[in-house]
Amino acid sequence: MVRVARRILHGLLLLLGVSTLSFVLVSAAPGNFFDELKLNPQISASTVASLKMAYGIDKPWPVRYERWLRSALRGEFGYSLSYRCPVGTLLWPRAQNTLLLTSLATLLAWMIAVPWGILEALNRGKWLDRIGGGVTAIFLAIPELVLGLLFLLLAARTGWFPTGGMFSSHGAEAALLGKLPDLGIHLVLPVVALVFGAAPLLIRYVRSAVAAVLDAPFIEAARGHGLSTTRIVYRHALPAAANSLISLLGFSIGALLSTSLIIEVVLDWPGLGPLVLESLLARDTYVVMAVVMLSSVFLVTGNLLADLLLYASDPRIRTV
Amino acid sequence: MTAEVQNHLDTSRELLCVRELSLEYLRRNPFAAVRIETAALRDVSFDLRTGETLALVGPSGSGKSSLARCLVLLERPSTGRILYGGQDILTLSPDALKAVRKEIHLVFQDSASALNPRRTVEQLVAEPLVIHDAASGARKIKERVAEVLDQVELGNSWRCHRPRELSGGQRQRVAIARALVLRPKLLILDEALSSLDLSAQAQIANLLLDLQERHSLAYVYVTHDVRMAGCLAHEVALLDAGRIVYRGLPAEVLTPNLQPVS
Repeated sequence: MVRVARRILHGLLLLLGVSTLSFVLVSAAPGNFFDELKLNPQISASTVASLKMAYGIDKPWPVRYERWLRSALRGEFGYSLSYRCPVGTLLWPRAQNTLLLTSLATLLAWMIAVPWGILEALNRGKWLDRIGGGVTAIFLAIPELVLGLLFLLLAARTGWFPTGGMFSSHGAEAALLGKLPDLGIHLVLPVVALVFGAAPLLIRYVRSAVAAVLDAPFIEAARGHGLSTTRIVYRHALPAAANSLISLLGFSIGALLSTSLIIEVVLDWPGLGPLVLESLLARDTYVVMAVVMLSSVFLVTGNLLADLLLYASDPRIRTV
Repeated sequence: MTAEVQNHLDTSRELLCVRELSLEYLRRNPFAAVRIETAALRDVSFDLRTGETLALVGPSGSGKSSLARCLVLLERPSTGRILYGGQDILTLSPDALKAVRKEIHLVFQDSASALNPRRTVEQLVAEPLVIHDAASGARKIKERVAEVLDQVELGNSWRCHRPRELSGGQRQRVAIARALVLRPKLLILDEALSSLDLSAQAQIANLLLDLQERHSLAYVYVTHDVRMAGCLAHEVALLDAGRIVYRGLPAEVLTPNLQPVS
């Protein structure tokens, strides 16, 4: 319990550090939301100055940071200058959409990677491993952007899947249960694109973690007792390889909010991706800050979960 | 009289008879479409009786460990026969082989890595009982584990410790306890004393001799340490480049200063 409390405290301090550093860096970047207004001859310099004053942009960064911090604690994360509303109200529905997409994709990627990685590890050097290695190498080399564009092309050419959005116009008005098939068909392409992006790396990790353990003498000893391959994998190799995989799972959870930004933009998924892109281009500082902080919260939480899982799964850690 | 019956008669007094065993490792040349065969063992033959020790002595790369791995079927020999109790274990059905595996155990050189680091001494020693379904009920398993820990002179207080909390000698005792728990007839000791310091070597060697006397165990003792081979073995076989080049009593094979004869 003390260990968990200590880790949570460390996480909170880390989040405070990330927020300070991000705020300083964003503030130090040249230009702000109102700079474009200066180019408009119909808007006077005094109007721009009064707008800056009204939104507190003219204040030094420590004062702005202190205000933003109070606002973040209330769950508002500042005020969006583009959308003219608290960032929190803008963020939560989009974060939910992103989480729906990435959770599903991450779950599927792991469900594919674990058995595939084990299968490759058990067949090291054989044709199955070689073919698997070649396929994962190809997908590792393809950038997510290209994958997204390929799937967009597929959707546009075949008409089998919608080219963007979360619901079609008729689906959005249906009842919750009626919405599900429409949501499902809209999820297919972004989920598959994300799985193709994430699974190859996970397969490589699982393969190398399990292969390293399969060479260990204690596995040889188990084999010497005549244990079947299945029992060796599930009772000996997987628990021993679990530590590095659990750490990787922590990163997967931590990346849930940030992993799909490009795919969301390309396949027009109404998540955080398009919002971040628009906010970056418009220099809507507080929206960017909120997304950075939310991603950091996920990263810290993912690592904390991984630590707790390691603590639960490895008796050696409990005795330290 | 068929050759098989003749062979059975010849080997009936022996616990283990190895006949013309050869092992080749295949590896691929990444720059050419050819497979390279490396002969690890060539026509190795020897016999071992119940309660006796055969030391396999040789330099690194002579095939000692490959032979040890073949005897517990961690490697499948290319040709030859391994007769245990008169039956060729290479041709046994899985069920019959499982029964034989209860009686032959391999003790590895590096017990630190040969023992699952996540398990306690009790779990490690109990594992073969669970695998072979050799004891029913948790109480019987605990009793057998306590008994065998007592045999290897490792106090019951160590049963909740994990391998990294033990010394090298204690770990090797756990490895031996693990091998003994199923009441085997044959132990393959693959450099089982090599990673220990001199005092621990002497303690484990005495323990092995004591266990052999009490349980009529047979040992195949794989080592490059000719002195220890001279102390433990009833017979010594010298291996070189995968072949047994000389076999005899320790006094015949080793010179008075305990070096192999040339």
